[in-house]
Parts: sequence; C-alpha cells; structure tokens
Amino acid sequence: MKPRPWILLLLTAVPMLASAKAKSIDELAALFDSSRCKQCHAEIFAQWEKSHHARPLMGVSDGLMLTPLVKASAFQLKSPKDATLKTFPCFKCHLPQAVDHAEDSVAVELATALFTASDKDKPDADKAAAKSKVAKLQITCIVCHNEKAITHKLVLGSPEKDVIYGSSGDKAHGDPPDKVFTKVKKSAIMGQSIFCGQCHGTGPNFEFDYPIQCATLYGSYQHNYLAKGGFQSCQECHMKKVGGKADHLFTPNWNDKVGTSKFLAENISLDVQTLGYQWLRKAGSLTPMVVVNTKIENRAGHRIPDG
Amino acid sequence: MTTSAVDGKPISKDERHYHPQATSCLNEKMVYGAQNKAAYVRDTSLQPYESKDETFEVKLPEGVRTADVTVELSYEVQSPENRVPIHKVTRRVTLDR
Repeated sequence: MKPRPWILLLLTAVPMLASAKAKSIDELAALFDSSRCKQCHAEIFAQWEKSHHARPLMGVSDGLMLTPLVKASAFQLKSPKDATLKTFPCFKCHLPQAVDHAEDSVAVELATALFTASDKDKPDADKAAAKSKVAKLQITCIVCHNEKAITHKLVLGSPEKDVIYGSSGDKAHGDPPDKVFTKVKKSAIMGQSIFCGQCHGTGPNFEFDYPIQCATLYGSYQHNYLAKGGFQSCQECHMKKVGGKADHLFTPNWNDKVGTSKFLAENISLDVQTLGYQWLRKAGSLTPMVVVNTKIENRAGHRIPDG
Repeated sequence: MTTSAVDGKPISKDERHYHPQATSCLNEKMVYGAQNKAAYVRDTSLQPYESKDETFEVKLPEGVRTADVTVELSYEVQSPENRVPIHKVTRRVTLDR
C-alpha cells in the first residue's frame, strides 16, 4: 500500500529538524546554552564558570589561542572568508559540539573575529566585541552531560536528546521535570578516566591533514601512571568532592596563581640536600665547593607539564 | 638554583627544564603550539612515580667559606615571565665545622 503523502512529508521533515546545524556563533552558543542549569545547580555552575571548560578558546590569561592557528600555521588563512570547519581541528577537543552541530559559516565568523581582535588598526571597541564573540563558545554542561556522555555508541546508542547523563540515573530530571531534559540516565563512563580521555589526548591527531598534537595527558596516564601501578581516576584528583558533589572547577584554574601554586605544591615534592667541603683531585689541590642535590617527585597521575 | 656569598654577591646560577619537547617532524626545530607540534622528540617532564634527581656542584671563589643556596621550583605558563611558584628552599652552606 502506498503511504499517504502527508505521512511522507512528516517522515522527511523530522530528520531535517534533527540535523539542523548552527549557522552562526550565536546559534551554536544557543544550541548548547546551559545557563538554565544554574537554577538548580548553582554551586556547580559557579565552579564551572571559573574553569577552563567555560573558556576553552581563550587560553591561559584570556588570550585568543586560535589566532596563531589562523595567521601563522599550516591552517592559516589568507582571508577569514576562506575558513571552514577543517580550518579548526582544535574543535575536536576545545569545542566538540561544533564538529557535528555547526556549519562552515560558524568557522568564517570565528576566523573573522580572530582577525579583528588581532588587528592593531581596528578600534579597541571592535577588538573587544570580537573577543567577546569568541568567548561565547564554551564547553557547557550539555556538552559533557549529553553530547560526550556515551563513547560506546555501537552498543549503547547515541545520547538521547531529552536526557541528561550523570553518575547516577534512571529518574526524572527535577521536580517538576525540566522541560527540555526530562530524564536523567547513568553514563557508563562519566566517573572513569576514559571520559576525560576523549579530549585530554593520547598523541598526534592523524585524522587531520596536518597531524596536530595538543594534550597527551590521557596517554601519559595510561602508559606511565597505570603501568607503574597507579589506580586513581582523573576525576578523583581533579574533581574532588566539595559538599558531597564533584568539584566542577577541574583544578587547576591557571588564572588563579595562588590556588594553582597550592595544588602543584601538594602534588610535587622537592627535597634539597646540601654539603660544603673541599674536594681533593690530587695532592695539594683542594677545591672548596658546595654540592646541592635535589630530588623532585611527581605524585600526579600523568607527566607534568601536560594538558 | 642560585648561590651567593653571605654579603649577597652572586656566585653562580644554574637551571634545569622539565617538559615534553616536540617538533613538526618537517625539520629539527622544537616548536610550541598544538597547531605546529606533530610528535615528541624528547621528554624531560616530571613523570608519575619517578623522581627527578639533580646534582649541582659550585666551586667557591677565593676566600669564600660560606654561601647561601636557593632552590626554586616553578611552573612557567606560556613564557618564562609568567611563573607559578611551587617550592622555594634556602640553605646556608659552610665549609666550617
């Protein structure tokens, strides 16, 4: 029996809506806007706001880390209009939602903002506006608690659009339930290092036309820390419980020098031994000297430094 | 690691650097920036469950029998000018017993 025409129309409309991609930075930011989460998760949201996940394209000290990419690398552009998603391999980890949910026009807009912000001839107001535009792009709650919550898609399926994934699950999301994410389900991997390893890297990214290498933390964790008998997960060190809940600051916050100094000092020890004496090479040739022995031990679950 | 005489006059200064070092693999030059790095060629980082042991020997100048030694461990973020201090140890070392 032939399907009725209106049924055919409906069947073709749903996939188009489901696959609608953001055409602008504002649209991409809106698609993954998590400001609503603050209503019920205020403390966690405040922690996240201070984290580098809230400013993944800003770099340390709020610099525009992608400027060298578009101006002086193998991916450089003659004009921002030439940008495509392929211009920004960094999206894989620094803005994963862009990989599947943005059109090339988002890349053009981002490249334009980067060129503007770094143009010494532009007015300060234009440069500030361009920087603010880049700052809108964040790794929000929805990115981790939905988009990246499932790695075993062949057996568990893709993340469901109305589900928030967490460390516990199979319950309504809020009372009354949230209007968009109505359910909470357990993510198999959220409490394990593999979750962080999706972005915090193992080595060169050979899938791109230039093999960029950024973070290699997860590789160091697997091949060095675990190999030497370590058992702690990333989350156990970098998301310690605060008030019974995982700290979403993801220590360290490199913009907080005092806090970072304390965190590093807790995980790296320095022992210093000194000796003053006169060394004798041969009879009659004493050489007065100071000898300093240092021993540094790294108690982290990966090499330091890494990212 | 710096040494100086008790009157503050500098005697020596020495440094060690601990970090993974990458090139583009297109030449021998070390580079920074994920967009430029392709592979590590050397890794002097602090590794988990391993200690990094160093020895510094400083010959004392004529007439100097006591020196102040300062060892500072810090994390340089993006440039040597942007340092996060980790540990600082100062000792007075003398030949006199």
